[in-house]
Amino acid sequence: MSELLRIEHISKRFGDFYANRNIDLTVERGEIHTLLGENGAGKSTLMNILAGLYQPTEGKIFLEGKEVHIESPSQAVSLGIGMVHQHFMLVDAMTVFENIILGDRRSKGIFIDRAARRKEIEELAARYGFQIQLDRQITEISVGEQQRVEILKALYRGAQLLILDEPTAALTDIEVEGLFRVVNRLKEEGKSIIFISHKMREVLHISDRITILRGGEAVATINRDEMDGQQLASLMIGRELSESHYEKRNTAEKTVAVLDHVSYHKNSKHNGLADVDMKIHAGEIVGIAGVDGNGQTQLAQMLTGVIWPEEGHIQLKNSNVGVFDPLQFIQNGTAHVPEDRNLQGLVSDMSIADNIVLKRTESEEFSKGHGLFLKKKAISAYASEMAGKYDIRCRSIYQDVRSLSGGNQQKVILARELESNPDLLVAAHPTRGLDIGATRFVRDQMCAARDRGVGVVLISADFDEILEMSDRILVLFEGRIMGEYSGKNPPIKEISMAMTGK
Amino acid sequence: MNFVTNLLLATVRMAIPILFIAIGEMYSERAGMVNIGLEGLAAIGSLVGFLMCFITGSTWLGIFCGALVGIAVNMIYAFATINLCANHTVYGMAINIFAPALASFIYRVYFGKGSDLSQITLMKGLGIPGLKNIPLVGELLFNQTPMVYLAFLLVIFTAVFFRRTRSGLNYRAVGENPKAAATLGINVIGVKYLSCVICGALAGIGGAYLTTCYSNTYTEGNIAGRGFIALAAVIFGRWSAGGILLACLFFGFCDALQIRLQVAGLGIPYQFFQMIPFAATILALTLIGGRKLGPKAAGKPYRKEER
Repeated sequence: MSELLRIEHISKRFGDFYANRNIDLTVERGEIHTLLGENGAGKSTLMNILAGLYQPTEGKIFLEGKEVHIESPSQAVSLGIGMVHQHFMLVDAMTVFENIILGDRRSKGIFIDRAARRKEIEELAARYGFQIQLDRQITEISVGEQQRVEILKALYRGAQLLILDEPTAALTDIEVEGLFRVVNRLKEEGKSIIFISHKMREVLHISDRITILRGGEAVATINRDEMDGQQLASLMIGRELSESHYEKRNTAEKTVAVLDHVSYHKNSKHNGLADVDMKIHAGEIVGIAGVDGNGQTQLAQMLTGVIWPEEGHIQLKNSNVGVFDPLQFIQNGTAHVPEDRNLQGLVSDMSIADNIVLKRTESEEFSKGHGLFLKKKAISAYASEMAGKYDIRCRSIYQDVRSLSGGNQQKVILARELESNPDLLVAAHPTRGLDIGATRFVRDQMCAARDRGVGVVLISADFDEILEMSDRILVLFEGRIMGEYSGKNPPIKEISMAMTGK
Repeated sequence: MNFVTNLLLATVRMAIPILFIAIGEMYSERAGMVNIGLEGLAAIGSLVGFLMCFITGSTWLGIFCGALVGIAVNMIYAFATINLCANHTVYGMAINIFAPALASFIYRVYFGKGSDLSQITLMKGLGIPGLKNIPLVGELLFNQTPMVYLAFLLVIFTAVFFRRTRSGLNYRAVGENPKAAATLGINVIGVKYLSCVICGALAGIGGAYLTTCYSNTYTEGNIAGRGFIALAAVIFGRWSAGGILLACLFFGFCDALQIRLQVAGLGIPYQFFQMIPFAATILALTLIGGRKLGPKAAGKPYRKEER
């Protein structure tokens, strides 16, 4: 194998903060090289340097032995570096075809030579075994397909080195398998791939070599078979990570919420609930297992008063809910960790402090006259205390939450929701997209809440998470509850079958 | 018959200035720049167009200078929103306040107070031989000033540019997803500046049209909300050149109708009819409303190295 890319002593500084410090890395031809690291370890920054989006503060980059300065994305493209960003760089309002030929330099005329371009793209797709519908709009195709469009876009521009930034974060298990087939096919064709991830299982499965980043520095580069997941994880987070174990409980304490034969858009298989009957007790975690899009969103909205049932009743604290309004539910002790942090959980352009007290601005503690005048000092003091208690890593509590990493954003939400002393906590995909450390923190907090007597509804598409955390497991399929299982020694096979409706 | 012909003729005349301004705004918004300063750009274009024509006697030079001053003033907006990532609405409003005032100031300095209205000779009509003799259609479309033909050619050019050409596709990507465009090697900042040049020029031309082809004199407030109506026409026309043409003809028709109804002596206060174009605008926007949103990144700042 010959060396394709070598980077030497790369550093990147934002203000006084080093996102990358003195990083060395080599990538061979036909190699799948993984960058492993937690969120904020500097993986994306390093790749954005290679893609020409950022300029390094120091250091050198060599391609095929020659030093290069990558000053713009178009230069990166012409050097054969293609990047698939974690948040896809696609224009939603255009078709797949238009997205692929955007910014294309090979045709000379004023007009788009559709027929010729189409032929090229189709040939390329066939060569790598892609199924692609060129005339569909980006909004009409699945996330997995969008990703293939991104890869094809890079290949179309002649990429020799393909950077995949957290490519599996948004994919289902089946789509991940498809992606890995594609990646292996690319490798056979002699392309080099930099694969960015923090998911141990995938990394061990796909990589040839692994470089671990921590706190902006490259800690080690190893061959795949040199280490197991546990060792990699401790290198990645910089300390030994004890095997996590959450004790399962059997509770028949008082109920905190009851769904009594509730239906909503009954006949919609993906966006409705049909005859859902469930009880949530104080001091237990009820795991809702199931493939995404089988009514989970509606269940969370129902339990927090955003939508109201078309049939059936909901009881909170043993009395029927008459008015469906989130405020009503909040006053009845419901806390919510919503599925989309940025859209529903936080006001991204407001500070950490403001987000933390958002639910309680009318309390005596934070305002005079029921929210008429805010007590700024009390809010700051409280927010600082919470930042400490929930380990929110930030420069200042006045920082916009937008600028925080996903894990820290989730901690802001947890601080707000759990400190309101709820009776019921509805957590929808609470660890989605978080790294190991943050995931552990969120799970610990949910477990602690349960131990304090909170009834927790954990909705998650991550089956491992459901198995690890739940005291009781309910399976949701096409809006129906398919079965109920104990969290102690759950029958994994049976549950998996239930998740597919069998 | 005569009433109808006159009404349609007036419709075209009224629609043209709005059309220039609205097409300019379309170029702007397609690159993600929501420029609400059209009223101001048209005002300064109108004054400078008039002034140059008054001095030199050339309507073409007037229009050309109207375009230049539109570009110059719009660069304030461009620099603030593109380089400093300032709020589009704030700077658009700033131009709406600043530019008309500047226009009035220049007018008064040049002509002095209280003088009689200075007048210029309007641009001559240019009938297209043969075609202009077709009944009604000839009169409407082929016996107008060259500016009218230019406006229609602009619509066709714009439609082809955005639908068929490579550059048009790349241009649109900037307004939809500038980061994606940048990763594909499209010069985002360049396109955004280009959009401001085009928008400034066309809004300036729209204003200059009013003084050099429509009324032969400059009065304060002569734009009379056309900049805002153009903004509405872009939304009403769904950010497409053809749609904008139809929207502008519709607004032009309302405008023409209200003038005709004013002089018809129906015993209704004339202010009521003056309201028609604006009421039609509100109605049109309510109906079309949020059904199709424009370019996705419209009005959002683009920062190159954002964490």
